[in-house]
Amino acid sequence: MSADLTLILPEIVLAVFAMLGLLGAVYTGKDALAPALVWATSALLVLVALWVGLAAPETHTGFGGMFIDDGFSRFAKVTLLLSAAAVLAMSEGYMSARGLLRFEYPILITLAVVGMMVMVSAGDLMSLYMGLELQSLALYVVASLRRDSIKSTEAGLKYFVLGALSSGLLLYGASLIYGYAGTTLFSGIIQTAQTGDVSLGMLFGLIFVISGLAFKVSAVPFHMWTPDVYEGAPTPITAFFATAPKVAAMGLFARVMHDAFGNAVGDWQQVVALISLLSMFLGAIAAIGQTNIKRLMAYSSIAHMGYALMGLASGTVFGVQAMLVYLAIYVTMNVGTFAFILMMERDGQPVVDVASLNMYSKREPGKALAMLVLLFSLAGVPPMLGFFGKLYVLRAAYEGGLAWLAIAGVVASVIGAFYYLRIVFYMYFGDENAEGLDGGKSPVLWGFLMASAVVMVLGIINMFGVEGAAAAAAASLVN
Amino acid sequence: MDEMLREYLPILVFLAVAIALGLILILAALVIAVRRPDPEKVSAYECGFNAFDDARMKFDVRFYLVSILFIIFDLEIAFLFPWAVAFKDISMTGFWSMMVFLGVLTAGFAYEWKKGALEWQ
Amino acid sequence: MADFFMNHPLGIALLIIGQIFLLVIPLLVALAFLMYADRKIWAAVQMRRGPNVVGVFGLLQSFADFGKYIVKEVVVPAGADKSVFFMAPMVSLVMALIAWAVIPFNDGWVLSNINVAILYVFAVSSLEVYGVIMGGWASNSKYPFLGSLRSAAQMISYEVSIGLIIIGVIISSGSMNFGDIVRSQDGDWGVFNWYWLPHFPMLFLFLISALAETNRPPFDLPEAESELVAGYQVEYSSTPFLLFMIGELVAVVLMCALISLMFFGGWLSPVPFLPDGIVWMILKMGFVFFIFSMVKAITPRYRYDQLMRLGWKVFLPFSLVWVVFVAFAAKFEWFWGVYARWTVGG
Repeated sequence: MSADLTLILPEIVLAVFAMLGLLGAVYTGKDALAPALVWATSALLVLVALWVGLAAPETHTGFGGMFIDDGFSRFAKVTLLLSAAAVLAMSEGYMSARGLLRFEYPILITLAVVGMMVMVSAGDLMSLYMGLELQSLALYVVASLRRDSIKSTEAGLKYFVLGALSSGLLLYGASLIYGYAGTTLFSGIIQTAQTGDVSLGMLFGLIFVISGLAFKVSAVPFHMWTPDVYEGAPTPITAFFATAPKVAAMGLFARVMHDAFGNAVGDWQQVVALISLLSMFLGAIAAIGQTNIKRLMAYSSIAHMGYALMGLASGTVFGVQAMLVYLAIYVTMNVGTFAFILMMERDGQPVVDVASLNMYSKREPGKALAMLVLLFSLAGVPPMLGFFGKLYVLRAAYEGGLAWLAIAGVVASVIGAFYYLRIVFYMYFGDENAEGLDGGKSPVLWGFLMASAVVMVLGIINMFGVEGAAAAAAASLVN
Repeated sequence: MDEMLREYLPILVFLAVAIALGLILILAALVIAVRRPDPEKVSAYECGFNAFDDARMKFDVRFYLVSILFIIFDLEIAFLFPWAVAFKDISMTGFWSMMVFLGVLTAGFAYEWKKGALEWQ
Repeated sequence: MADFFMNHPLGIALLIIGQIFLLVIPLLVALAFLMYADRKIWAAVQMRRGPNVVGVFGLLQSFADFGKYIVKEVVVPAGADKSVFFMAPMVSLVMALIAWAVIPFNDGWVLSNINVAILYVFAVSSLEVYGVIMGGWASNSKYPFLGSLRSAAQMISYEVSIGLIIIGVIISSGSMNFGDIVRSQDGDWGVFNWYWLPHFPMLFLFLISALAETNRPPFDLPEAESELVAGYQVEYSSTPFLLFMIGELVAVVLMCALISLMFFGGWLSPVPFLPDGIVWMILKMGFVFFIFSMVKAITPRYRYDQLMRLGWKVFLPFSLVWVVFVAFAAKFEWFWGVYARWTVGG
């Protein structure tokens, strides 16, 4: 028992911190403590990330196989912990300035992170669902944090209703799988689900589970909530939605597909490939008409999830490695991009209109250049890190026998480049007389933007060793 | 198993008998008593006024709050029932797990108390 | 003959129906006299005479009332949802009645000897709140609507503490079957073996929660006639109203039975030299009902915010702490193991 508890010690530490923080803050300074709590949470998340990341590279299972601590889960945990810490650090200034900073915010983020950590370590359909719900419930509340804004409450409500629907789909699938496999343990399901030997009921269960998971990663055709939630939620929370939960959901997706259905790749490969294809194209095409940069980022994230799913669809070790590398790069790019979006303001009011960036390079050449790098990277223009991420997944798909998907990916990437480059056009060649933006003066945001942009350029040398870690992680997942 | 289920049969029969009893009483009044409705008699009671509008109106959000709190605590009690029945056979791990669960719940309760969710005026 | 009643499906059905009537008819007759007793006690406290016209000492008053209800006109409000309007009193009555299926009056004298009896009673009495909500909503009138909301909120608030108190008793006896709970209170010291002693504070909490749960004074806020006329029952007349009344009173008597079984040893004799038997159960229920009546007679009505405060801020934390205390006392056998009856026998 104590060995099991040692295994989930990082999660326990975070959960206890959340509860102590909640009670401590509500009984003392309440919202006055919020900024301190945000920074403390952020620091703690970084510490836990170091703790998890520097742990011995071994595989342990606890609670009778319900909890798996392996290289894959550690890679995903480090990624999501660091991205959550970064988003928290970025949000403090923005939210304080607008009176949005409640002390519940860092607590809820911590609880969501605990849920995500359970998700990526799940070895059983029940622990999967437990993690997923802990994450989702915290995020529903966070989405409607700005209670007096119709858009924010609408976002929260929409997210809640559709999220509950997807949880229902997932549970329905899980119960079918349990019924046909006779166990909820992934290690037991994989025994039952042999190639070409998956019973029809189990196949139905698999499809329902994929639908539920696709919803959580906002892949087409379960993406409808994404633009509205991204637009309605306060921008720092949008930044959070775009990073850590995506990593966790993709990690969970890969975990279920490989740990529970690794013997039946043929059965889910086409479905995942189709979802991936649709996501890439819808993300690329639907974003073209967007003028709101938050909605644009929503479609961008849909497209990026399509690419990450491409790695998973290949069904190989290399595919999982590609997916992990892609996710790490995606998260870094999004942190930088949202740092920029958070700085977009005029007279102290946040501005989300793309047109407001006209001739931004004249006013803020440094920031405009950083944004240019990030946008090129998001679009996958060659010298930037984003290009190598795309190259990775395309190669994985090609080697996994999905050449058509790889070609489609290239086409979608070319279409998608249009709307990223349009922003670049506005910044450098836009209308001189348009009303511009004030210079955002947050050193924290500036730091994150610059750091992210520098990573996009310097990362092409050796990707800071992420490749090796991802390869080890993928090897621990796929046997 | 059969013996166990058989113990539930009286409940089913009792349910039928109770419904029959209720129906008989309602029907008795419908049959025996004179019915002479008029518009004044069947209008909604509102202290002598005519009803202004539909009665199914907006009401205080606190009622929702109370029912949500109720669901949380009732679920907790539903968790406690099997634990309490098996109490004498339960291991130390089982015992302490429930104590931790109650602790987490109490933390939530303390939070909502301080937040004023239990205030009612 | 015995074979027919034990094995033939028709025989079994007849036997069960016979048993049900054996339970329901005395219960309803007793109800009539309890109603009368309630009014008499109330009157006595206020130095009035109470009902004294119908029958000797007014003993037949309740039956006269019953006759009057039946010949009254059933008024259905114009905007009402008719099916729900009639379903509401049905729910109220049916749920109150069927809970009795698991209540034993003597060792083995129980209609349905299931092992989740308390859970069943708890579940069924939770459903009673639907009668209130449906009644208030279906009437399509403002007083019933507001009254039903308040009443529902009140009932569910106190249900939580009732549930927690029950948990304490279950931990002590290790069973959810009322027979087993009573048997676990059997011992050499008679009255001092019963759970009222180790669970002393909970006896009061349960009593008060039971008052609130059944909308009895001083918690009869749904019928706070000065504010809400008669709460969710405003638009009801004739037998539908009667069903609400019966349902409410049956629930009250059920609470008396629960208290007798859980805290006062059911059919057990209070002193070792007297035999156990149904008479003790009835005496105990009568005693608890007397307390209920006295409370009604001598306490003023609570205000709604006081009621909610009491339920959530006093009863809930207290009963939660008590559950933890009982769990520790039972696990580590504090106080010579009186909280863990399986260790001391019985």
